[in-house]
Amino acid sequence: MTTKKKRSAHTNRDRWVVIAPDSVLDTGSSADSDPSFTKLKNPATGSSSLYLFGCGDVRVYEVKAFNEEFRSWFIGQTVQRDGRLLYVTPIDCLFLLLPYIRSAATEGKFQPVKQMVMDEDFPGCTRLLKCKQGLDSLHHVADEKEVGGLKFHRYNQEKTMEWLKKKVQRTVSTLKKSNISVGGGVKSSTFVRVKQEADATEEDYLRYAHGLISEYISEDLSKDLLKHLQLPEISSPKETEPPSKKRKLSDKPVEAGEDYTKFNSADFARKAPKKMTAAQKTLAKVDKTGMKSIAAFFSPKVKQEKN
Amino acid sequence: MDLSAFESDNSVSCRLSSPIPDVCKTEDCCLGIDEAGRGPVLGPMVYGICFCPVSRKEALKNLKVADSKTLTEAERENLFRKLDEAKSFVGWALQMLSPNTISTSMLQRAKYNLNALSHDAAIGLVQFALDCGVQLKEVFVDTVGPAEKYQEKLSKLFPEVAVTVRPKADSLFPIVSAASICAKVARDHAVQSWKFTEDLGDVDTDYGSGYPNDPKTKSWLLKYLDPVFGYPQFVRFSWSTAQTLLDSKAATVHWDDDDEDGEKAAARQKNTSMLSFLSHSKPAELKHTRDTHRFFTERKLQSSNTL
Repeated sequence: MTTKKKRSAHTNRDRWVVIAPDSVLDTGSSADSDPSFTKLKNPATGSSSLYLFGCGDVRVYEVKAFNEEFRSWFIGQTVQRDGRLLYVTPIDCLFLLLPYIRSAATEGKFQPVKQMVMDEDFPGCTRLLKCKQGLDSLHHVADEKEVGGLKFHRYNQEKTMEWLKKKVQRTVSTLKKSNISVGGGVKSSTFVRVKQEADATEEDYLRYAHGLISEYISEDLSKDLLKHLQLPEISSPKETEPPSKKRKLSDKPVEAGEDYTKFNSADFARKAPKKMTAAQKTLAKVDKTGMKSIAAFFSPKVKQEKN
Repeated sequence: MDLSAFESDNSVSCRLSSPIPDVCKTEDCCLGIDEAGRGPVLGPMVYGICFCPVSRKEALKNLKVADSKTLTEAERENLFRKLDEAKSFVGWALQMLSPNTISTSMLQRAKYNLNALSHDAAIGLVQFALDCGVQLKEVFVDTVGPAEKYQEKLSKLFPEVAVTVRPKADSLFPIVSAASICAKVARDHAVQSWKFTEDLGDVDTDYGSGYPNDPKTKSWLLKYLDPVFGYPQFVRFSWSTAQTLLDSKAATVHWDDDDEDGEKAAARQKNTSMLSFLSHSKPAELKHTRDTHRFFTERKLQSSNTL
């Protein structure tokens, strides 16, 4: 109806629709500790992501946005153009601390956490030091030493792997409990299998859980974890490319491989693109999500995830 | 004419009918179909049928029913009263297609055009007469679209009945004229006493004829244009008059079935344009970056770095 007009950039971002646990609003003991949004380094990508501190910084939450195209809100008597739905969910603070502790490990020394968790780009990271739960669980990823009442830490890769492995295992059990389809066959969360997913193997669950945990750790840690879980790496089909079709240089005279001249008659003259018929238009509107592109059938076979 | 059944909810389609004369259940009957309010941008479209025993066609002629377009409003009212008084042998039924029904049909995902809507309304009314026990033998219809095709369609649906589809049938067959009078009177009443479901305060009812080329109608449309909602349900949104005004004056709204084509649309839908395969550099999406885990992509969840 109104496709000709350009969309202007999103404005009016002073209001959001948020789903958050009640604990976010719990201000704890101190009165002046309203929950606040802060940008922190995303442990997986290293780029900036939004987090929320609650309860006087004792707890940290991640912010995920449900963002689908063509959505707006009606709120009271107003319209909100931004149709996102923000989810504020608790995150294990240790995931956010881990990149700092790891990068400090290069020096190989025991250090106080305060010294490790410093970031010019994300000054908000020092607030993580107030997260009791994160500090209490540092021993999962680091060796500890106490000297004169002061605690010193040093990153420990093996401990970290064990900790992450436990995370994966807990995720697996949650995945099973919440009936989440982990098999390769299911591409849409809206598609619900009537039959219990009996064909999903333990490895499917492990891989899926590993993938989920990898959303919270750096890429190299994710690869290490894969090894630690004794899962073989699979090359994703996206990485493989069809073999180059470039012609090899040779001294022989070049000859045409096929004769295309027969197509040069007038019958094969280019026809102007026809307007689509009503039937073709409706066909073009068919929901194609979840369908493979036809090109996918022509690329060389790659090892697929077992179903 | 009692329109209260329609007025109780003028957002949907509604059927009104006279009692079925007893003679119509025993004697062979003829039936005429005509419509009123096909062109206007305002108000309902009304489909009317009128039926009487074949033997009483002369009596109908004596009522001097004529094509409703050649009559003044008062003459039409008068004739309708006469038809209603002849209830011993004349029956009628109406299908009121509200402007909202027309809008939603024509603008829905699987487009349902005005001709199909008209045909289905006519078919529904003939079926209604049959279901009421009217001994139908002849049906006369003023055509919508090509007469031959329409006649074939109706004949197939009602093989027991002789169907005649003619352009200008309302001036050729008195029974069609009678149907056209019923439809026209119902439409006039509905438009004059339109009950706005929207809270518009004192509505200016001086909207002219309702036809798109009427300057009064146009200025009324401009006056009642809401930037967010567009128009009251009295207006057929699917009319190009209404759409043009909405496009230029109201806030832009994007739907996910808006027709977009070309490379821009492909980019927006994260499809790869065919052209990109021919150029040397790979498009950004194909360069290796970590993909978000499908748990999140399937649920349209993103981490965000802005509120």
